[in-house]
Amino acid sequence: MSYDLQFFYVWQNLDKLGQGLVVSLELTGLANLIGLTLGFGVALLLRAKSALLRAPAAAMVEVFRCTPVLVQVVWFFYCVPILFNLFIDPMVMGVLALGVNLAAFNAEGYRAAIQSVPREQYDACAALGLTGWTRIRHVILPHALRAALPVLMTNGITIFQQSALVALVAIPDLMYAGKMLATETYRPIETYTVVAAIYFAISAPVSLIVQRIEARFDRVQA
Amino acid sequence: MMHFDPMVPFKYWDALLIGLWMSLRLTLICLALGIALGFLTSQARRSRFMPLRALATFYVELFRGTPVLIQLFWIFYCLPLLLGFEPGNFASAVVALTLYAGAITSETFRASLKSIPREQYDTCRALGITGMSLALWVVLPQALLRAIPTLLSNAVALFKESALISAVGMADLMFIGSSISNRTGRPVEMLTAIAVIYFAVAFPLTRIVGRVEARILRRLAV
Repeated sequence: MSYDLQFFYVWQNLDKLGQGLVVSLELTGLANLIGLTLGFGVALLLRAKSALLRAPAAAMVEVFRCTPVLVQVVWFFYCVPILFNLFIDPMVMGVLALGVNLAAFNAEGYRAAIQSVPREQYDACAALGLTGWTRIRHVILPHALRAALPVLMTNGITIFQQSALVALVAIPDLMYAGKMLATETYRPIETYTVVAAIYFAISAPVSLIVQRIEARFDRVQA
Repeated sequence: MMHFDPMVPFKYWDALLIGLWMSLRLTLICLALGIALGFLTSQARRSRFMPLRALATFYVELFRGTPVLIQLFWIFYCLPLLLGFEPGNFASAVVALTLYAGAITSETFRASLKSIPREQYDTCRALGITGMSLALWVVLPQALLRAIPTLLSNAVALFKESALISAVGMADLMFIGSSISNRTGRPVEMLTAIAVIYFAVAFPLTRIVGRVEARILRRLAV
């Protein structure tokens, strides 16, 4: 291999990547906010008695799980403004696209977790006269949140990785900053290596924590 | 509000079909190669030879911990340098998606290998089956059977991720669809059509996963 690796230009422009990283983290954080709350709502709808509530929730989950995230992001960017005659900040659009996608995946995680809440908890609620929102808020949610924690964290960090897609619709995130820098400096290999390393440095600790939590859950159950 | 014409995508059905064929072809090739790579990697991660184990773990964590988009960009720029010649877009895409598929598939195999009962290994020892024959005739068939549902999910995931190759200019479903959308100025019709086509392929597959899973669980009686 005769290629001469030179990281000099990347180091010199590390602040640009840093600005991109901030945007990526903002996208991830806000998308997780939507994903964690809306996801729980959708999970409750998935278990509703009325098919009128269940069907749209199920459709939403399947549509987002069975189409590429890239298609979803591009669809949001081009179609929402036309369909709803609505022109909003690209960043808001990115958060919405990623957040709703995450909500669909989290809904599945919550649903499985809600199913794992023991029958006795519901009986106890009935005995104590806890119904409706109180039951959801104080009994089901704490249980479901705990049981779903590993899945929610994995989905949350997956959305960090998927957020790289918004670079393709010109939101200045880490991937976008990397693309610009690679073009400017003619050093794609060095730039993409550093960008990949940054993504990895943030994802890897989270997946390690998830493994720890899962191991602890296994021990408790055994 | 723009006039909505649902017939637009049908005018371009032949081009969309060519794109879909590219997406499917790439998915199938990378799935087959990825399963082989994933099985080898899962074995390497159980090796007694530390450097091999470390290398396999690093590979898996790296490809699971970074966005597929950046893997794709990285390989498109680096492969020509590593090989010393231009391998072409299709080969580069195959390499990138195969490496990704191998990483997620190795995790699938790791989980299914864990579920093979200890007694199987004891029996092999008693019968004098060791090394390659143990792996090939005892471990592989059982691991494969238990892994089938997750492998199918991986196939769906890979099919969805394949949309990313449009970002490096390969004429898959996403690329052809969005090109037509740009040319005709009909993003709502075209992008929705692409989403519907992806959904039409992925959704039945996810249904099959559930069926297969139930059947295998019954068969194995676990």
